[in-house]
Amino acid sequence: MKFVSQSVLAVIFAVLTFDSVSGAAEIGQIKNITGQVFLLRNNQQQPVKPGDIVEEADVISTGTNGSFGMTLIDNTRISAGPNSRIELKQFRFNPTTQEGESLTQLHRGTLAIVSGQIAKRSPDAMKVQTPTTILGVRGTRFAVKVEE
Amino acid sequence: MISVRRLVLHALAAALFVSGCATANTFVVLLPEEGGAASAVAVGSDSRRAVLDKPYNTAAVDTRGGIETKTITAEEANRTFAEALAAQPPPPLSFTLYFETNSLEVTPSSRSVLGALLAEVGKRQAVEVQVTGHTDRVGSEADNDRLSLQRAEAVRAMLIQRGINSNFLRAVGRGEREPLIPTPDEQAEPRNRRVEVIVR
Repeated sequence: MKFVSQSVLAVIFAVLTFDSVSGAAEIGQIKNITGQVFLLRNNQQQPVKPGDIVEEADVISTGTNGSFGMTLIDNTRISAGPNSRIELKQFRFNPTTQEGESLTQLHRGTLAIVSGQIAKRSPDAMKVQTPTTILGVRGTRFAVKVEE
Repeated sequence: MISVRRLVLHALAAALFVSGCATANTFVVLLPEEGGAASAVAVGSDSRRAVLDKPYNTAAVDTRGGIETKTITAEEANRTFAEALAAQPPPPLSFTLYFETNSLEVTPSSRSVLGALLAEVGKRQAVEVQVTGHTDRVGSEADNDRLSLQRAEAVRAMLIQRGINSNFLRAVGRGEREPLIPTPDEQAEPRNRRVEVIVR
């Protein structure tokens, strides 16, 4: 009995700990994919599926037939076409004040964006970087292509 | 003679290659707004900067930061970004449900909103739902914190019943802190007895 209650407690503790850790880092979620889409996190690459959580510093890349769409917690929507590589360099958002800052890097490929609360609250708080320039997003729908 | 001509050709090819490298490396297009509101993107920084503020304005930025602007057709934009545009997730939607006084029952007029909410949640791939409960200022703050959370959890339970993965359902109570309509304390205000739901 004692053993059972201890393991129950251990499970509850693990769930709570896991939840607070993942909750702190989650900045969005993958909504759809086609073809091959990979996520690079902590030097480990893994295939992506709809429902997967994205975190700051994640790098998402697509293969020759790949594409994906994701929604971030400030309601920004980002989608990418084939042969793309996107890095979620910085992301900070306060859901209560709706303020934040973000920097997304497009290394190669195509990106379509509908900006969310971060850009709405303060113009230029949302930035998109490419190898040759930087974009200050005042709102809301635009697309970017980087040719190698 | 022939070798000289070949040399010239090589030099020409090399020049073309170099100028080819210097052509647009980044291409940006402003797309029309979903709601039709004003929209703009600033490209570049400081002295070399262009602002795209009309639909289908574009900027091409070369490897040295030079910017060339023009306007393209909708067809051209849709062709260039076909796959990325096709992968855009649907816009997040918000719903507001109102509640009876000191109750977990939604008002009769909110029942259709609840129906629309459940339908929308059922339609979406990898859906996330954020449920935030609120109260009016009748009763103590502690009681209202509890009631607002109970309201949010009542909505959450309905969504779980519909088969939504509970990992992607968040319910929080904000008590009387965030009234839609500011009122003095202890004043009943039906518009503040609500649950706000964001479907993403």
